[in-house]
Amino acid sequence: MARDVLWMFLKCFGNAAIVLLVAPLCHGVMRRITARIQSRQGPPLLQPYMDLLKLLGKEDIESGESPVMQRLAAYLAMSSALVVACLVPMGVASPMSRAADVIVLIYLLALCGICTLFAGLAAGSTYSLIGISREMMTMIALEPLLVIALVIGAIHMRSFQLDRVLGGSVYAIGGVPWSGLIILVVMIFAFQAFVQRVPFDTAEAETEIMEGPLMEYSGPKLALFKYAQMCRLVIHCALFVSLFVPFGSTLPFPFGWLVFWMKIFVLILAVTLVAATHARYRIDQAIRYFAAMMVVAFGALVLASFGM
Amino acid sequence: MIARERLNQFREKFGDAIERADLTGETRVFIFVRPSALKPICQHVSQELGARYVISIGADDRPYSGKFLIAHDFAFDRVDLLCSVLAYVPPQNPTVESISGVVPAANWAEREIMDMVGIKMLGHPYPKRLVVPDGWPDGVYPLRKDFAWNQAPQGFDDEREFKFDDPPEGCVVVPFGPFHPTLDEPAHFRLYVEGEMVRGCEYRGFMVHRGIEKLAESVLSYNDIPVMAERICGICGCVHSVTYAQAVESATGLEVPPRAQYIRTIMLEIERLHSHLLWVGLAGHVLGFDTLFMQAFRIRERIMWMAEKITGNRKTYGLCVVGGVRRDITPELKDELVDVLDTLQTEWRAVVGAVLKDRNIQKRTSGVGIADAALVKQAGLIGPMARAAGVEIDCRRDHPYAAYNKIEFEVVTERGGDVWSRLLVRAKEVFQSIRIIRQCLEKMERGPIEEKIADLLPVGRIGLSSVEAPRGECHHFIITGENNRPRRWRVRAPTYQNLQGVPMMIKDQSLSDMTIALASIDPCFSCTDRLETIDLISGVKRVWSPGIENLIGCKKG
Amino acid sequence: MSLLSKAKEAIICLKAGRVTLGYPAEARPAPTNFRGRPIFDPTKCIGCAGCANNCPAGEILIFDVCQEIRVLHYLGRRCTYCGRCADVCPEKAITMSQDFETATDQIGDLQQHLELFMSTCQRCGRCFKEPSPLEQLKLKGYRADDLENQRVILRSEAYLGNEPVVDDINIELD
Repeated sequence: MARDVLWMFLKCFGNAAIVLLVAPLCHGVMRRITARIQSRQGPPLLQPYMDLLKLLGKEDIESGESPVMQRLAAYLAMSSALVVACLVPMGVASPMSRAADVIVLIYLLALCGICTLFAGLAAGSTYSLIGISREMMTMIALEPLLVIALVIGAIHMRSFQLDRVLGGSVYAIGGVPWSGLIILVVMIFAFQAFVQRVPFDTAEAETEIMEGPLMEYSGPKLALFKYAQMCRLVIHCALFVSLFVPFGSTLPFPFGWLVFWMKIFVLILAVTLVAATHARYRIDQAIRYFAAMMVVAFGALVLASFGM
Repeated sequence: MIARERLNQFREKFGDAIERADLTGETRVFIFVRPSALKPICQHVSQELGARYVISIGADDRPYSGKFLIAHDFAFDRVDLLCSVLAYVPPQNPTVESISGVVPAANWAEREIMDMVGIKMLGHPYPKRLVVPDGWPDGVYPLRKDFAWNQAPQGFDDEREFKFDDPPEGCVVVPFGPFHPTLDEPAHFRLYVEGEMVRGCEYRGFMVHRGIEKLAESVLSYNDIPVMAERICGICGCVHSVTYAQAVESATGLEVPPRAQYIRTIMLEIERLHSHLLWVGLAGHVLGFDTLFMQAFRIRERIMWMAEKITGNRKTYGLCVVGGVRRDITPELKDELVDVLDTLQTEWRAVVGAVLKDRNIQKRTSGVGIADAALVKQAGLIGPMARAAGVEIDCRRDHPYAAYNKIEFEVVTERGGDVWSRLLVRAKEVFQSIRIIRQCLEKMERGPIEEKIADLLPVGRIGLSSVEAPRGECHHFIITGENNRPRRWRVRAPTYQNLQGVPMMIKDQSLSDMTIALASIDPCFSCTDRLETIDLISGVKRVWSPGIENLIGCKKG
Repeated sequence: MSLLSKAKEAIICLKAGRVTLGYPAEARPAPTNFRGRPIFDPTKCIGCAGCANNCPAGEILIFDVCQEIRVLHYLGRRCTYCGRCADVCPEKAITMSQDFETATDQIGDLQQHLELFMSTCQRCGRCFKEPSPLEQLKLKGYRADDLENQRVILRSEAYLGNEPVVDDINIELD
């Protein structure tokens, strides 16, 4: 029993460590590819690590209306991201699958978004309030899509357990998995918004509202937020891969593990290409887009409940 | 001759209100009237004759005629005529009737006259301070001749604050600027926002006012001024130096040699090329589309290198002197320029072809920041703003200058009046500029590039000049003077006029559209402001507006 | 269709390749016509002060220590590299070099200090022909080592000190 617990701890720690190590590298790859598309050289691949180190070394300034909430929001951002990392399978089975189920995952993902809300409220300036109102509108329109995907998987597997749902469960019925395919298409189209990249990064539109919720952040707290954002990118990619593209992950270690990370890399490449070639959408245009996606996703849910 | 006909028409209608009229050529009319007749004449010119308002100028003429001088400049675009209605105002308690009631486009110009020269405008609808900083003492007017250029006024009040208007009901105040990532230069738009919709705004600018006009009157000489004029703006420098030189040449009757005219035309069009490419990139950046930004700048870089090879600098060409230009275009440079233009045309054609069908960009720019033909006419908007609304005005065709009367080109217009139309107008004007440069290079004749000036320039002559900058019409007014420098020099940059239309453009639009709508007028606040810090040779620097901290301090509500 | 135009845009970008230059690791000299830092040649300068009179920024200072000695001091702080001094100079003593990498924290690095030995024109005292009425020179005499035109030089008691004309600007960095 103790050995199991110890093993679980080690796996959690491993997951979190992998995410922490790899997230800045993924971010660096994104920046480099974006630069090449823009005909320029781009920063070195390890630049995000150096950026985070630089930020950590700066003076820790407390500013905004509520410095306490500012600090707590930064801690919450990082910690919620790492907890979700422990729940998501990263090439190996999810470490905490017996400790939590899909519902907890959904709520923890929502918590990641809430910490941006806290950050904006802590700053209290007009621009950050506009930013968090946009962030909340986006979350309200977007989270249900992921929920529907997970619920479809749960319906097919007749269980909410993490390791059963996060294993390509959306396809897990006999015959052609219509609901699975439909929700796959929906998620592909909405994925850019989950990872908060152009054309759906309205909440942090730099040129319009000066970074919005993160306006008052600098130094180590900003490092935590930025790191959390990078981790969320990797985590969302891992979720997508586990839910929709699980093929090959059942190969024995290390092949399954390598295949998993290659899929993540391909997904990041796709995200970068779309981000580099699009302009940012306005919030009302984005919400309309998500609403359309939601209608289709509901259709998929209905199909799933009928066993299709 | 149109000018003489117009003058005769005025004489018939207004008879003895006209004290004197000068016809300094076929394209310039100066009508001196009694101060009381200024408003009716301006109303007649603007409303009945349909002329476009350009600028109003206030000058302190007391050392010469004992009075103040007011001038209102109008442009008759269809007939290539620039007309100025002037009046001498008695020096004790100088007052005239404001024309802003009948010519709404004159709003800022009159406020500036009130601030800088101290002529009161009776009946001005919004007589708030425009140019001078908050703490500036009342009753001190910088552009008067008794105020030295390096004088610090007594009674500058650090604590005095600017009183903003009250926002309309239900609106939150969102301060946009003076520091904002989108703005290259400081400007303050105090937006009144309801939810995500902008319901109104108040503009405060003139934070980079540099006192150029005062320096030109006091310290610089005729050929020093073009070097400073090209630094009025960070992008359209050549335009200001050419306009100034043309104004002096028009005032003094100097003929510029044909080769110099062609060279000026070529450099003006090169400047238009780089400015429009820069703008398209900037629009992309504001929309979050950084790739378009990078590509536009990559394509533009060759023009900058070419300009550096021809003139010695990428942007501040140092091109003009009064009477000609300083550097010639050699045959090797001409060949290189032709190559650069060919490459540019191919690359830009590919980009425009891709962007035209791009629905992603169109969604952000169609129907945004609409300035229709009615607003254009009312506010006197110019340049691509006007052409995108279907109002076909272009100084190169309407008031030909330099070598434009020998060149064929099209005036590009669109009908939409929104940001997308402006983007199309600017993108297509690039091709027209390339066409113009090619024609100039072929038609350029050999000859001198500078007119030999034998005597001192005559004194007290008035000159007007309008040049089509990339942003619109740039207009300079000059009165020549003694000591090798002008008596009064007034710069009207195109953004000065276009900014006055922005509050109407962004009304009832989403907040996210504010930045792209503002960027679509291609604002050049440095052109508009013309200064605040006065540098002395002794190294003392004074900054006149500590009130800026108050502006940044606007946080919530 | 938007996807097609995005694809076209992507192709434009990728065809262009990488355009980043290696500057400053790789030197990138300015073209020959470039207007860089002006260099004053003391051997050619006749002390007419045309450059000082026609500098828009007022960065060239002239003062006469005594009848024979004129000091020309180029401050170089607000010089806009316009090249008016080079245009006006009757002796072509000023060249606009291609030097643009002039950042320094010692203002003295940019200053150029010329001490010129002057002589007076015997006939009129002073005369230089100006290129145009808009370009005025300050009217003073000829160089003393111009032997053909040498005239009597009055001895003077004045001497040139070692103090700099303009102090270095001290910028305190935290």
